[in-house]
Amino acid sequence: MTTFGFLSLLLALAVTLWSSYASASSDYHEQLFLQPLPQSSLLASFNFRSNTSQQAFDNQHFRYFPRALGQILQHAHTKELHLRFTTGRWDAESWGPRPWGGSKEGGTGVELWAWIDAPDDDEAFGKWIALTQSLSGLFCASLNFVDSTRTTRPVVSFEPTGDHQDVDGLHLLHGTLPGEVVCTENLTPFLKLLPCKGKAGISTLFDGHKLFDAAWQSMSVDMRPICTSDGDCVVQIEQTIDMVLDVERSKRPRSNPIPRPLSNELLACDTSKPYNSEDTCFPLEKGADAAWSISEVFGRTLTGVCPLTGSDGTQEHSVCLRVPHEKQVFITEGSTEIKKEDGFTRCFDPAPVQPFDLSIPEQTVDIPVPREEPILYAERTIVGHGQERGGMRIIFGNPSNTTAVDFILFESLPWFLRPYIHTLQATITGRDGIPTEIAASDLVTSTFYRPAIDRERGTQLEIALSVPAASTVTLTYDFEKAILRYTEYPPDANRGFNVAPAVIRILNVENSAPVYIRSTSLLLPLPTPDFSMPYNVIILTSTVIALAFGTVFNILVRRVVSVDEAAALGAQSLKGRLLGKLVAIRDRFRSKETKVE
Amino acid sequence: MTAKSGDPVSLPAEASTPSKSTQRVPAPESPQAIQTRFRVIAAFWAVIIFLGFPIWWQTTSIYRAHLPIQEMVDWADGKLPESQHLLRTTQHTLDDLNEFAAHHLRLKLTNDTNGSPPRTGNDGVDTSDSTPEHAADIALTVHVRPEEGLVAPRSELQPHTTQLDIFYPPSQIPSPSTSNPPLSIFIAQELQRLYGEEKATIAHILSGEIAGLDSASPELTESISRRLRRSMKYAETYHLSFSLFTPGSAPSSWDIEAAIQEYLAPLLDAFAPISNFTIDTQVQLYATFSPMNPDPIYDEAEAAWTLKKEDLSAFINAAEWPLNPSIGSGPTLNFILYVPDPSQSPMIVKENRASSWIVPQWGGVFLLNPPLAKGQTSNPAYLEQDSLQSAFKTFSHQLLTLLGTPSTPSSLPLRLQTLIRVRAASLLLSASSTMGSLARLTESLPSIPIPANVASSVSTTLSHLSATCSHLREGRFNAALATARVAENEAERSFFEKTMVGQVYFPDEHKVAVYLPLLGPIGVPLVVGLIKEVKRLVAAWKARRV
Repeated sequence: MTTFGFLSLLLALAVTLWSSYASASSDYHEQLFLQPLPQSSLLASFNFRSNTSQQAFDNQHFRYFPRALGQILQHAHTKELHLRFTTGRWDAESWGPRPWGGSKEGGTGVELWAWIDAPDDDEAFGKWIALTQSLSGLFCASLNFVDSTRTTRPVVSFEPTGDHQDVDGLHLLHGTLPGEVVCTENLTPFLKLLPCKGKAGISTLFDGHKLFDAAWQSMSVDMRPICTSDGDCVVQIEQTIDMVLDVERSKRPRSNPIPRPLSNELLACDTSKPYNSEDTCFPLEKGADAAWSISEVFGRTLTGVCPLTGSDGTQEHSVCLRVPHEKQVFITEGSTEIKKEDGFTRCFDPAPVQPFDLSIPEQTVDIPVPREEPILYAERTIVGHGQERGGMRIIFGNPSNTTAVDFILFESLPWFLRPYIHTLQATITGRDGIPTEIAASDLVTSTFYRPAIDRERGTQLEIALSVPAASTVTLTYDFEKAILRYTEYPPDANRGFNVAPAVIRILNVENSAPVYIRSTSLLLPLPTPDFSMPYNVIILTSTVIALAFGTVFNILVRRVVSVDEAAALGAQSLKGRLLGKLVAIRDRFRSKETKVE
Repeated sequence: MTAKSGDPVSLPAEASTPSKSTQRVPAPESPQAIQTRFRVIAAFWAVIIFLGFPIWWQTTSIYRAHLPIQEMVDWADGKLPESQHLLRTTQHTLDDLNEFAAHHLRLKLTNDTNGSPPRTGNDGVDTSDSTPEHAADIALTVHVRPEEGLVAPRSELQPHTTQLDIFYPPSQIPSPSTSNPPLSIFIAQELQRLYGEEKATIAHILSGEIAGLDSASPELTESISRRLRRSMKYAETYHLSFSLFTPGSAPSSWDIEAAIQEYLAPLLDAFAPISNFTIDTQVQLYATFSPMNPDPIYDEAEAAWTLKKEDLSAFINAAEWPLNPSIGSGPTLNFILYVPDPSQSPMIVKENRASSWIVPQWGGVFLLNPPLAKGQTSNPAYLEQDSLQSAFKTFSHQLLTLLGTPSTPSSLPLRLQTLIRVRAASLLLSASSTMGSLARLTESLPSIPIPANVASSVSTTLSHLSATCSHLREGRFNAALATARVAENEAERSFFEKTMVGQVYFPDEHKVAVYLPLLGPIGVPLVVGLIKEVKRLVAAWKARRV
């Protein structure tokens, strides 16, 4: 529970920080949290948070809050906004629970949800469209493709995290773009929103090449109002970037990015194994963790601190590292190191302007950082075969031996995937590995289902489930694949159609911070026609009609005569005369030949 | 069959023997059969012509709403009575350089009880008795006061009201008998002087390229055309965006709310009848110059870092500084307060030691060099209201220039009134020329559709254009500006109608290629049949004539 405990501690700390700073008119914080993960991975969590007083925000006096985003939010009457750009897959089996309890990440691609202040649903949707169009321009993302078919209104899966005076007047809208490729063009506008702009502080580490080379990365922008009990409100914007870097891969220089095989002498071979020849080797697993440093992994060093932090007198450590205290860590001179009591966390205060680097040599430590299981494992795949039907299978694994997990499964399916909810089936597998089919209603405590309308909206399915302790639940349902219209197919129709990831909100967590899990996005192969078909049809039909027409027309117009009469008529016609001439020339030629003989 | 009959090898002997003379010629066709064939071919062609072509025409034609093309072109060319009037009066100036006749001053005695100050209405050429009743339409109030001890009359313009005080020696009270009393001449001269620049401006706008039209001095013409080039297009709402840029981390805050309240709010209130304004501000740290921009050079003589005048256009790093336009209709005016790094302070423009400049039709820049405290190497973290004073005074001047306010007379209300008239005139012209462009566009591109809402927008524009002209003639300038705004908006909307340009490009060659397998085999027998029948008819007609 320690890792999760630490993360939840972080969250709780953050919550207390927010509440204590809520009275301050404007402040800014940033922190980088580094944690080596198994399989020589490194988790880097960047967090940037700033507050602006509600009054300054309403009067459009922007200081830390980015002006472009603030104007968009005011224009669209958005009171709370959450925007996520994610690529890759979080490997929960080896890496453990997600950073921030999964609350700062999104499904693959782009995910956006917002609480919009509007008198009714239609106006809320109009403002939602205005919001997505503007954000699309601001973040260079295809958010303008979030239309009514990709928009849902979740009922129980999300709750506002800010303090809103009039919660009833707010409309929650949620949209996903699972096919969006997140890349450098999204990072540049993201950096522009930061007060220090990647010129000072931890944001200097951002390099598009490294960031989007990561095994998993997630960028988030959250905006919400926070009010104290006496009515003072601040507007908070929090930006995070979390990434899992493969240390070996990131350490490769950019000039020589392709891994080369080591020469035989350099290989670490298991000499206890028998070898049949000189050039074979059983690789020996390394006992020690790989050496790394910030400048190697990120390709650059950290430049000082953003001078806006700590302006209100509090000292905040801008870089924190989670390794055992026994481990040797070298830091640049001038910066200070503070070890926390928990035995695994240490924080650093870089010197104001100088570059800061941190390096860990290769070493073996007896007490590794304990790794804790996530609360729930989830996995979703499409099963079945054929062009017409398919099935969805979602596997939930509860690693705990004592407590059941209650959660909400939220699926927003595209309209061309038509689920049959009556086929919802559950199979429960205990630790003994024997699957037992049970009625889905035994696990499902409540369901919210909004069926799709073709070309207008997608399916929205929210299921509250409970998975008993020490068991795995497999949930399946069948679906039918719709046949699209000719013009509705994208140019790469045979690649398949993206289905947005499922969002899982875990309900029974001790602290108040929500815990979310997202499955990977899916590719749904749809029946695709041969796209030259319309032209073939036109041409074939035209030919058949022309044949029929020609026959009918000829029968009606031509004159019917006997064969020998036709010969006489034919001789008079142009064709007959030409043929006659040809015959005459050939006859003369032949007679010449016979004369020669 | 003919070919086979000539082949002696492959055919049996009896088949090869029949000669041409023995071939049986079929009996001539009966007239009835010929008649039937004629009817069949005629029926096919009738279906094609009377059913096929109309259906094809109907289904492939584009909806083009009727537009009053001639009227639109006339507006653009200035041929309509209203605009002809403008042209004619412009022509007057060529004939009579002493006075620009489109711009007459009309005097009117008010019914005020506390004296008899004559008021002037600034009016068109029409000398009818139409009296603008609304107080807002009175351009200038002239107070004529006797004052002892004066030799010649003198005038004094109130800087904050639309009032001109004229003091005259009591001896100069005009008697009814004199035709040209010196006092009247003096008042007339004063008024001409006050409105001199406005006249020149309107003449400049109306004349367009014809520079010779201006009766004003070349210097005035030059300054007017410069101002017109710099000023923004007229809009109902302007977004003012004030940004503090600095290459380092300080200053990171400023007393912007107080500064705007103190230095800018009164000016914006005065502009309220013309345009609305929204204000937003931002602080941007670590704003570096673009790599293309040459760095400032230290000038020993000036003891300052200098920017070359020709490099000022690249001063703003458009790629990195977040200066995107505000959301909502209307243009954004950007005002940039740049605080240079202490290592490059003070920063000035090399040529004229100026610390501010205008970016035409975009905004203004002010270089603020805050005094460095003794022994301190960094800028203050917070800019007080006092240190922003000079910057905001400059910004308000730049705002006036960017909005196209004339530089004379000294009274701000008078200048704003001038602005209303100049704006109305320029909107009128712009909407008319948009109409002309739309007319030319629809005529030159016969394949673009014209939806019905474009036609209605055009008619709204035309009606508002004539309303504007009549308002102008009758001296209701605020109303004229309002109708001119509507005309301009509608003209722009009709010109930029999306459905007009958003047409799918399907070339005719493409369609023909797809349908050739149908059209070819059907068309050939039909055309051949038609030709044969026509030949036969011609032959029969000739035979009958012979």
